[in-house]
Amino acid sequence: MEHVWDFSAVFSNWYLLLIGLKNTIVLAVVCLVLGLFFGLFVGAARYSGNRLFNWPATAFVEIFRNTPVLVQIMWFFFAFPIISPFDINAFTAAALGLTLNTVAFSSEIYRAGIQSIHKGQWEAAKALGMNYSQQMGRIILPQAVRRMIPAFMNRAVELVKMTSLASVIAYGELMHQAKTISTIEFNPIEMYTSVALIFFILIFPFTLLVQRFEIRSKAKG
Amino acid sequence: MTEVLKIENLHKSFGDLNVLNGIDLSVAKGDTIVILGASGSGKSTLLRCVNFMEIPSSGRIVLQGKPVGTEKADGINYPEKELTGLRARVGMVFQHFNLFPHMNVKQNVMEGPRTVLKCNQAECARRAEEYLDKVGLGWKAEAFPSQLSGGQQQRVAIARALAMEPEIMLFDEATSALDPELVGEVLETMKELADEGMTMLIVTHELGFAYTVADRVLFLADGKILEQGDPEKVLIHPQQEGTKNFLRGHGSFRLPEPVLD
Ligand SMILES: Nc1ncnc2c1ncn2[C@@H]1O[C@H](COP(=O)(O)OP(=O)(O)O)[C@@H](O)[C@H]1O
Ligand SMILES: [Mg+2]
Repeated sequence: MEHVWDFSAVFSNWYLLLIGLKNTIVLAVVCLVLGLFFGLFVGAARYSGNRLFNWPATAFVEIFRNTPVLVQIMWFFFAFPIISPFDINAFTAAALGLTLNTVAFSSEIYRAGIQSIHKGQWEAAKALGMNYSQQMGRIILPQAVRRMIPAFMNRAVELVKMTSLASVIAYGELMHQAKTISTIEFNPIEMYTSVALIFFILIFPFTLLVQRFEIRSKAKG
Repeated sequence: MTEVLKIENLHKSFGDLNVLNGIDLSVAKGDTIVILGASGSGKSTLLRCVNFMEIPSSGRIVLQGKPVGTEKADGINYPEKELTGLRARVGMVFQHFNLFPHMNVKQNVMEGPRTVLKCNQAECARRAEEYLDKVGLGWKAEAFPSQLSGGQQQRVAIARALAMEPEIMLFDEATSALDPELVGEVLETMKELADEGMTMLIVTHELGFAYTVADRVLFLADGKILEQGDPEKVLIHPQQEGTKNFLRGHGSFRLPEPVLD
């Protein structure tokens, strides 16, 4: 079948797509910020020698690493509201799934980053009379975070892509908007091609940045 | 004589491994004490118990006449806060320097006074300048550790410890990781400190240095002090078979004759 490409319906619905793009970015940013923030604590708990912290943190990380994100989002939308005392809309469910997923992954990045710092750095800081939080804050984290940045950036890229999964619970991000428009306008080819292009334009510069950063940090050693 | 440090019947074990089996030692102000012993004899552990990088299994550490920790029925209790305070008063220099690579030389030296002692900017800067000059590296203040030779890095590490104006300095094989031609500059710095009256506990394999600089030499074997005394006595006229064997193993170092008989 010959297909005549016609993007007019894509352009005429630009406003809906823009809303979708905004919602995609909002969801990604919220999940990234919260995920990185709480990931630090879960990472610290996993690193801790104390079983009371270490066990739950490990269980949490393993659950989220070993189940599909789609399942997590569906669970928070369809299953969680039944046992939860408060209302859960599509945004909350998607944000919960993706944030907790990011917490699990970033806690591993923190942990690996911190473990990559030589034991001698802890010792030198300790020998100067620093307490644990000074050792961590002044000596270990500043070095570790530099090594973590490429991994965090990769994670951000993955997260932006994963937001499209929220379309299954009708959160109005880019993918969901595209789905809606394409059923009305009967233009799946143009619509999904455009969405792919928009994602590409959104993500590609970031990927380039990550690559440059990785090369730079490799060169620095 | 002011006693800076006293170690009483110090024991330390890791699980089933008894590393220190009753060490007694008294260190007066200005003393330079060199600790010798085979690898694994517990030299590092001894130093690390003095600044509580390791917690002693039993026994007592007394700093400036004041026992560390609080005596409890089931042993001595060491509150973390007391230990961080104590570590700030005891300087330590490591085999592998352990400078902070994300800070330049000056920041490395200022870090302790700034973060631990909460000195103001002017005081931090004064200390950095004074102690970097003391180790002869004032001109490298803006350099990063990775840009320095091993010997220079170790001298910065010494300046970093000195900037805390410690009551005693611990050196754990400070020259063992250095290329031979860089050992001299670090030993020279340590000797100057000793001459200025710094109280020092030094673990080293440099017997020539021990002979010239030490006020007292201890020989450690199986977690005990096997032999001790002035350098002449321990290094030249050792009494114990263990000490003699150890010194024979270091035969490549030139020392006066009797040691090699
Ligand atoms: N943190 C530790 N855990 C378990 N064993 C240790 C630890 N530190 C040292 N040891 C053991 O204690 C013994 C003495 O070590 P160390 O004090 O480093 O000796 P030295 O400095 O004289 O070579 C060695 O057998 C070493 O393996
Ligand atoms: Mg050692």
